Amino acid sequence: MIESMMKTRLFQWVDARTDAGSIIRSQLTEYPAPRNLNYMWNFGSLALLVLVLQILTGIFLVMYYKPSAEMTAGGFTVAFDSIERIMRDVNFGWLIRYMHAVGASAFFIVVYLHIARGLYYGSYKGPRELLWIIGVVILLIMQGAAFFGYLLPWGQMSFWGATVITNLFGAVPVIGDLISEVLRGGFAVGDPTLNRFFSLHYLFPLLLAAIVGGHVHALHVVHSNNPEGIDIDHEKETIPFHPYYTIKDAFGVAVFLIPYCYFVFFNPEAWGYFIEVDNFVPANNLQTPAHIAPVWYLTPWYTILRSFESKLLGVAAMGASLAILFVLPFLDRSKVRSARYRPVYRQMVILFFISVLVLGYCGHSAPTATLKLVGQIATAIYFGFFLLLPFVHKFEKTKPVPERI
Amino acid sequence: MTDHADHSRRNFLYVAAGGLGAVAAGATIVPFVGSMLPAADTLAASKTEFEVSTVAEGQLVVIQWQGKPVFIVNRTTDMLNRIQGHDDKLKDPMSQAMSDVQADWMDTEEKRINRSIKPEYLVLVASCTHLGCIPLFKPTEGQKDWGDSVPADWAGGWHCPCHGSLYDLSGRVVNGSPAPNNLHVMQYKYMTDTKVLIG
Repeated sequence: MIESMMKTRLFQWVDARTDAGSIIRSQLTEYPAPRNLNYMWNFGSLALLVLVLQILTGIFLVMYYKPSAEMTAGGFTVAFDSIERIMRDVNFGWLIRYMHAVGASAFFIVVYLHIARGLYYGSYKGPRELLWIIGVVILLIMQGAAFFGYLLPWGQMSFWGATVITNLFGAVPVIGDLISEVLRGGFAVGDPTLNRFFSLHYLFPLLLAAIVGGHVHALHVVHSNNPEGIDIDHEKETIPFHPYYTIKDAFGVAVFLIPYCYFVFFNPEAWGYFIEVDNFVPANNLQTPAHIAPVWYLTPWYTILRSFESKLLGVAAMGASLAILFVLPFLDRSKVRSARYRPVYRQMVILFFISVLVLGYCGHSAPTATLKLVGQIATAIYFGFFLLLPFVHKFEKTKPVPERI
Repeated sequence: MTDHADHSRRNFLYVAAGGLGAVAAGATIVPFVGSMLPAADTLAASKTEFEVSTVAEGQLVVIQWQGKPVFIVNRTTDMLNRIQGHDDKLKDPMSQAMSDVQADWMDTEEKRINRSIKPEYLVLVASCTHLGCIPLFKPTEGQKDWGDSVPADWAGGWHCPCHGSLYDLSGRVVNGSPAPNNLHVMQYKYMTDTKVLIG
């Protein structure tokens, strides 16, 4: 199809002026992809799909959403009422909003699996260090965008989540209070906070789109890793991205859409995991809900925060747990990439995945003494993974890697 | 690589899968475009009540209906006389050009000329049919009050300030105006002797 499209006179006309043909050939129809990529390599294209869906649904939601904490005659706020109007009166408003709300969680599910793939198969190691670092930047912007977006419905969880997180920055010595006030535009979360969070929630996806472009460009310079984690012969061991991986990615999209549509149409709240029950209660600055927790995709880091007695230490540890991802490529000194041939690293990285899941569970649950201890152990494992990494290559007996894939 | 592929089968699958994907993508457009149509609460606010007895004789008031301005004029006998006898100067004296300039209640010739249910109370959409400006009400005869913004034989009516369209006191467009049609009318009915329900 692409080949016949490229033979048309219209395309020839465009090609003579933009060189579009050589871009399509080098990036798509002749782009060499390893022939042994497994289904874990589908999550990059899925993340791109969800990003497009989020931007698209977001643009349409903004046509009706009003970022104002002003009270209405009905006793609610303009923002809260505008969401209810989207749900009840706007044609297909419920569908577009649920696509957006479920899409936020779907985005993190596919991105976390994408990151886990990179960790397991050593995709972060040279020459892909910068590719990984750009990916970490994308993760941080996603988390920021999700956090800003969660304030917009102006429900109880929106309000108190934003209160807790903006107060976190108050722990920073000397300038902490100033940072909090700049974030909130006041002494407490209020109308100015809602307006600036809305502005930033619209800005961050634009940044994401640009940086994702950089991520893909960097990928196409250093090329994809593969399950064996070995350097490959670009002539003999690759297949063109199109049609082989476009078809495989399209199949992945079809499979992804099944659970996505299930949640959008039948279970958008996902038992309180995607949309927390307390957020159906309008924001009340005089009453905190009985149990405050972030949405599931932020709970691992929330547990790290809660695991420390000192507020400053907790905030610092939470920041470090994300910042340490930037230096991961330089901590790991092993010459072998894939965990398939690294028995010790394989155990470590699986334990690391488990620790993140445990951290997530703890962060979503009400704090108890037992869970606090569990969370602290999981936090220790989380950081232990990174601290042990620089020394693993000294004692790890790697298995022989194959010459060819 | 030898090619043992069944090409007709492959092409069928290719077209079937691609076609289904195209239909799905097309269907996805429906909710997005649909969401841009007026919402249910906007549609629900589509009727307006008005007490026409509050309009003094010869006076015009502008009210809102569906977010649009609406003229309500209480025409005097003199004004009603002045809508007669200039049919030759009108583009569409009997309001038959299109659906928006007529309504179901125009069931007699008199109502069609008056363009109202009760002769005195005229209810019109106050948007010039050229490009939507609100025409100025210039009810008196001749150029005495209006200068040369209206012709010398002016029988009273509306003058649009944007591009000079002229309408008579029934809101019928005068020949030579850039506006193509008479001012639009809408469905309305009398709830009581003096209360109208517009829409």
